Amino acid sequence: MSDRLVLLVEDDPSDVRLIQRAFNKLQTSVPMTRLTNGDDAVAYLSGEGPYENRVAHPLPGLLLLDIKLPRRSGFEVLDWLRKQKTALRRLPVVMLTSSRHSADVNRAYDLGANSYLAKPETPGELDELASRFQSYWFSLNQPPELHGNAGATAR
Amino acid sequence: MAAPELATILLVEDEISDATLLRRAFASAHVLNPIVHLRNGDEALGYLAGVGEYSDRRRHPLPALILLDLKLPGMTGLQLLQWMRTERQLRRIPVVVLTLDESPSSINAAYDLGANSYLVKPGDPADVALLVQSIQRYWMELNQPPPLVMGAEGEA
Repeated sequence: MSDRLVLLVEDDPSDVRLIQRAFNKLQTSVPMTRLTNGDDAVAYLSGEGPYENRVAHPLPGLLLLDIKLPRRSGFEVLDWLRKQKTALRRLPVVMLTSSRHSADVNRAYDLGANSYLAKPETPGELDELASRFQSYWFSLNQPPELHGNAGATAR
Repeated sequence: MAAPELATILLVEDEISDATLLRRAFASAHVLNPIVHLRNGDEALGYLAGVGEYSDRRRHPLPALILLDLKLPGMTGLQLLQWMRTERQLRRIPVVVLTLDESPSSINAAYDLGANSYLVKPGDPADVALLVQSIQRYWMELNQPPPLVMGAEGEA
């Protein structure tokens, strides 16, 4: 179990660079694994193919998910995740996207996103986002258990 | 949401002393948002459903954030959460559980029922102030809330 890992799913290399730089500036930053498309995110979370080894590819404590992604979109990944029969379906998901459209915000919450963050315009704002994001989700929030079969309380 | 007023925070908490502590912490964190405090799940359901005295949404606006205790007299926090997530006008409102209950089964159940986050009440009042500040910074400033549904809009 690796509560202290963020799985970032983001296809834009310049966004990835900016996001990683902002997180690396934090005093202690939670490790981040980055994937570039929705299919890889599903494979990683299922532990399939190249991600079979959970020691090398541990489950994250949180999924930081873009919406517009090659192959499966962020929405499709989220929908897939929340429909899983195992405890994995509880994994907290924070959307991080440039879209501020109401329709996208609504859809994300309807599919079970825990939170929705808009990519900031400036590096300073991104630093602030990284700091608040990490302290909230990794110091304050109590994560669910992600292993084993889940009970009958499916949403 | 057309109203320029600050978004309302709904606090569902039966312990008066906890609620007072939280209110004070919000005030010291300079949170100006109106905080509506309700003391049990049934009253919260009435408020959220807009029943009776709560039907006037200008006086009793839907909240942008709900801080929800789990152990409540009557309807429990988890039951309220489960009901909310089936209601078209309420299902997207972010719910942060705020409770003394640290048991994994309660944490898991809360996420399964659609809680956005789960926080444990700190014992030390100084930590309550920090917690409230974090809630404000994350949920009221950073997070994009769902647009509040006023009428028949907001189709999924």
